[in-house]
Amino acid sequence: MKIISCIKPVPDPASRLIINESKTWIKDNDLTFVASEADNYALEEALRLKEKHQGDVAILSMGGDEAARVLRSGLAMGADRAIHLLDPKFKGADEFAAAETLAKAIEKDGGADLVLAGVQSDDLGTGMTGVMLAEFLGYAHATVVIGVEADPAAKTLKVKRELEGGINETVELPFPAVLTIQFGINQPRYASLKGIMAAKKKELKAWSAADLGLSDNLVGKPGAMYEVKEVFVPERKSRVEIITGTAEEAAAKLVEKLRKEAKVI
Amino acid sequence: MIFVITEHRDNKLKSITSEALVFAQRVGQDFGQPVTAVVLGANVSGLADELKTKKIDRVIVAEHPDLAEYSPDRYVEALKTILGNEKPFLVIVGHTTQGMDFAPRLSVSLRRPLIAGCVEYEKQGDRLILTRQVFNAKMNMKTGVRGESPYFATASPGAFQADELQSGGNAEIVSVAVQFSGPVRRKLVERVEAPRGMVDLSAAPIIVAGGRGLKEKDNFKIVFELAEALGASVGASRPVVDSEWLPREYQVGSSGQTVSPKLYFAVGISGAIQHLVGMQTSRCIVAINKDVEAPIFKVAHYGIVDDLFKVVPALTKIFKDLKVS
Repeated sequence: MKIISCIKPVPDPASRLIINESKTWIKDNDLTFVASEADNYALEEALRLKEKHQGDVAILSMGGDEAARVLRSGLAMGADRAIHLLDPKFKGADEFAAAETLAKAIEKDGGADLVLAGVQSDDLGTGMTGVMLAEFLGYAHATVVIGVEADPAAKTLKVKRELEGGINETVELPFPAVLTIQFGINQPRYASLKGIMAAKKKELKAWSAADLGLSDNLVGKPGAMYEVKEVFVPERKSRVEIITGTAEEAAAKLVEKLRKEAKVI
Repeated sequence: MIFVITEHRDNKLKSITSEALVFAQRVGQDFGQPVTAVVLGANVSGLADELKTKKIDRVIVAEHPDLAEYSPDRYVEALKTILGNEKPFLVIVGHTTQGMDFAPRLSVSLRRPLIAGCVEYEKQGDRLILTRQVFNAKMNMKTGVRGESPYFATASPGAFQADELQSGGNAEIVSVAVQFSGPVRRKLVERVEAPRGMVDLSAAPIIVAGGRGLKEKDNFKIVFELAEALGASVGASRPVVDSEWLPREYQVGSSGQTVSPKLYFAVGISGAIQHLVGMQTSRCIVAINKDVEAPIFKVAHYGIVDDLFKVVPALTKIFKDLKVS
């Protein structure tokens, strides 16, 4: 079974995000980048599937040094090899351009039985790149996956999806497929010292837009379907009203306000 | 033309459809564009009749036995046919597990923009600027779509108020025949309710949620007592679930449920961003916490900065008394 797991480098969640001067993104020069959290669950799932069914786990990431960094961590976790989509032309891609670039790389690598990605990234966070990737590749797909059973002999998958309102759904789909993996599906492993040492000998190849046969108008900013007009911190419309007094007085005042002012009870 | 792709299950429209229609009505008024609701299904004339009463111009109904259950392959194929004939300006879909299952495929298939998770929009000249959330709702991003229409947008749940949906229309109902040639690759095996005791918090009008401030499992009973007095559902923040005071199903937040009730009580919840993204669109938020610096107060409408072990029982008593009288 050949699995490709996609990893997006995002600013470390602990970092303080500051909007850049042109107000089109955050200042990301000095930030530390890590794998987007959901992508760790995806890679862990890929490694578990390989352990059960044998095969090959490749990891795929787009970006500069930050992508190389998350790929090295992924190799240390246990991935067999890594593909780094490295080209200044890739910068400024939206979900659409990113998905098209990733799809071309997967095709160049000979396709896959299974492509995994996190359900959504920690930066753009819309959860659309994985589904777009499936359409570019012409693969079946399932989103918000909380359980995977693969049958490599029959080339089918049975996956459980998490829907709204506490509903779970089981679906069957054929190889090749893209799955977007939900947070909490497993407990991602940490890289062992042995893993970190072994990672140094693993293959990490870099492909540019030209390697993928992608023309300049399809990648990065020119390939994006929308332009960013402004990034801003939304003003919270509500300003909290602190209700004072003893616990009993405050409780009574609050109930009065909920009934007369907010009219919610 | 503005299209809304409706979402329904068990012959009932989902509330996100009303929210998407509100979004469409507002854009429609600003841009002078008529609104069309699209219903895909097997026996959905009842839903079309319900939509007809809203202030929209048209309801397109595409019925086919293959559309009895949602299928991404079938939805994409049906919508490509319908959109190809109609050439709308904007197509609005709910930002739900269903909407985000087919809208990205449609966007790629037609090579047209999709702006997902929209919370607002503005009109700049003739241009539509769509605002979406980024960085776990810490920031917003205004985007300008490129190229020709149709443009796709998904409406973030809770961003548009369903009760602002205007009625009083007499929309024309148009039946469209759809035929399918592609395969149905993904097949539904079963759909089940998650473990018992699970409350559908996404539909609960009032939620009382407790956090780490309750200190230990047994203390959670004061949250249940307040919820009972209010006829509310109970929720929890992640630390409560991680400490196994309550099962995972109660969790509100980015890795739990996203809720948008009319009234949300945050009891002893400090308000980590992962929690806030799951509840900040609630209509009225009450925070009860000893720490005035807690981030929950940034999204709350009313706050009581005091010992929750005194405030919560006092509230429970008042609501109990109100019920009796």
